[in-house]
Amino acid sequence: MNLQQWLAERTFHHSNFWDLKWLVEQKERQGVTVSLCLPTLNEEKTIGKEIVIIKAELMDRYPLVDEIAVIDSGSTDRTCEIAASFGAVVYRSEEVLPEMGFYRGKGENLWKALYLLKGDILVFVDADIGNIHPRFVYGLVGPLLQYPEVHFVKAFYDRPIVYSGVVRPTGGGRVTEILIRPLFSLFYPELTGVLQPLSGEYAGRRSILERIPFPIGYGVETAMLIDIYQKLGLWALAQTDLDQRVHRNQDTTALGRMAFGILQTIFWRLEREQKLKLLQEMPVLMRQFEAKDGTYRPLEFEIREIERPPMIQVPTYLEKFYGGIPPA
Amino acid sequence: MNSPAAVDWALRNLPGALRPLRERLIADVVTITQMPAPGGEEGQRARFLLERFLEAGLSEVGSDEMGNAIGRLRGRTHCRTILIVAHLDSIFAATENHQVTVDRDRVVGPGVGDNAVGVAVLGLLPEILELLGWELESDLLLVGSTRSLGRGNHGGIRFFLDHSRDRIDFGICLEGMQLGRLNSFSIGTARGDIVCTVRPPNGRARSHTVESALVVLNHIVHQILCIPLPTQPFTKIKLGKMHAGRYYDIEPERAELGLEIISHSDEMIEQVCSQIADIVAELGARYNVEAVFDRFFLTRSGGIPFSHPLVKATLEVMQQLGIEPDQTHSLSELSALVARRIPTITIGITHGVKNHPRQPDYVLIEPMLVGVAQLLGILRAIDEGKCDESPAVAR
Repeated sequence: MNLQQWLAERTFHHSNFWDLKWLVEQKERQGVTVSLCLPTLNEEKTIGKEIVIIKAELMDRYPLVDEIAVIDSGSTDRTCEIAASFGAVVYRSEEVLPEMGFYRGKGENLWKALYLLKGDILVFVDADIGNIHPRFVYGLVGPLLQYPEVHFVKAFYDRPIVYSGVVRPTGGGRVTEILIRPLFSLFYPELTGVLQPLSGEYAGRRSILERIPFPIGYGVETAMLIDIYQKLGLWALAQTDLDQRVHRNQDTTALGRMAFGILQTIFWRLEREQKLKLLQEMPVLMRQFEAKDGTYRPLEFEIREIERPPMIQVPTYLEKFYGGIPPA
Repeated sequence: MNSPAAVDWALRNLPGALRPLRERLIADVVTITQMPAPGGEEGQRARFLLERFLEAGLSEVGSDEMGNAIGRLRGRTHCRTILIVAHLDSIFAATENHQVTVDRDRVVGPGVGDNAVGVAVLGLLPEILELLGWELESDLLLVGSTRSLGRGNHGGIRFFLDHSRDRIDFGICLEGMQLGRLNSFSIGTARGDIVCTVRPPNGRARSHTVESALVVLNHIVHQILCIPLPTQPFTKIKLGKMHAGRYYDIEPERAELGLEIISHSDEMIEQVCSQIADIVAELGARYNVEAVFDRFFLTRSGGIPFSHPLVKATLEVMQQLGIEPDQTHSLSELSALVARRIPTITIGITHGVKNHPRQPDYVLIEPMLVGVAQLLGILRAIDEGKCDESPAVAR
């Protein structure tokens, strides 16, 4: 399958899956369960709305989602209290799999979600979405229920549209356009068809998610794409247009730190796949500068993209889901 | 019919029985609040409501020429028709940020209490009845009405009532807030704008000898305040808002005043409006400005007395649910219904805040289910004939 063909056949719009009754029937017919994970860190402004909307529409009205769980990295606001008050199960990441230790980061929460949640299909949705709508879930679950050969579905937003002969950019975001897309073009050209590789919303089958490593921080989205692509090929990936997404905008320095973490994740994979050879260990200090009173003050951030092993290798997980015997 | 004690027990337990629908109600409140709906642009909310009606299997689901969203929940015997109406429009422009926040105890967003909550309850009512296994004898006519607020002047519900072929026996107007509100009558109300515009000769710059629009409006205000008003029947003129000018050194060419006249007598409303129109015309001519009085809103006084069985039954329901009643007059859709001699009440669903200068609109979550239970209690009372008038009670 070439890239154009993939784009044509594996790019969906959420409206392709508007028939929730049909989706629920498919889910029941296939005998699979769906879990929704909301990784959080201080999201009190948006978490209540996300849970209420998804629970009301996709659990109470149409039982597409079987469980909603919040996995929290140590919020200091009322995120956990609000989430619990609307019926979500709330886990504190540091209390989960204590024998494996704890790192603060979204990737850590997603990795632990594999252990905590029961579903055959896991949906990950960021908790800072201002315009939450059920499409953020069913748009991602839809391709997995409709196409058995699809194993991982990524969200994208704001379709490319032609206005007055001018093609509007795909809205991939700053880090995507100046870091990820050039790197993918160099080393993973087939993945350039993924319009927003860093979007925070995606869904996948447990059977593949448990077999890939999880960076604990910024690199988790890129790592998932590369690793699933390496294991199953492009055919296993799909993407869904979820229209607009309203969320906090990050400043450029924050994006710089994100890019630093993502670079580590990608370099490790390039070296693992023998596409690149690093002659020294990568440093973990990101240096930025702050201008104040006519002088420049250096700011140093330690960003270490530690990677969690594939969950299938964790004995507690293996015991819980497979009675200690690894699946074939 | 159940014994009074049993009814009391059932009512008190209704909020608990409704708990499974709590998140769905909140979700609908959020969804509706996030749909901009200034007067005349309620289409998105109307479609949402129609979808809810269709999903619930209502009959005669559709919208009329005014965009009202209508559905009928058929009763067993169709012995009565109860109209339940919630206005769809909001005072917020489509360009304002309509995003909503859900906190542990409240939903925060523009117009959430006026009237997203009322619309959400209306849309969910068929499913609520199904959850409880209640099948009424009466037909319920559910209407999400358009063009209610401001210059809309209840245009949606008036159109619906003018063209409905149903004999409507009772009306219930749903407002998001405040819980405990029990309006059973409306007093005569007129609202209007006075606009003064200085007329520059031949489109040229205004002469310095021509009076400022603001000063002319001030003369008009002075004259309006001199209108003698009786204490009986109670009549009052409220000068609500004024707008003129932008700069310190430039006299405005346009000045606007928004006012309201309320009275227990429709004749007094007409008389005062006529006097204001005369004042505006005369002072406009005297000072050579274009002065216009535009009365865009009028409701007639009327309603049912506190002794009406519908009011009595509602008070009883409120008492059983521990709701403190607040019986005042209303400017809601009620006035359109009472003008057609339909016994009607307006009730609120929850507590909250709206139009506060220093805090955003919000509604409290917890009282919502009590508010819904109240509606159900009133519906049951009507359905059981407890609100039917004896021949001696006049409307």
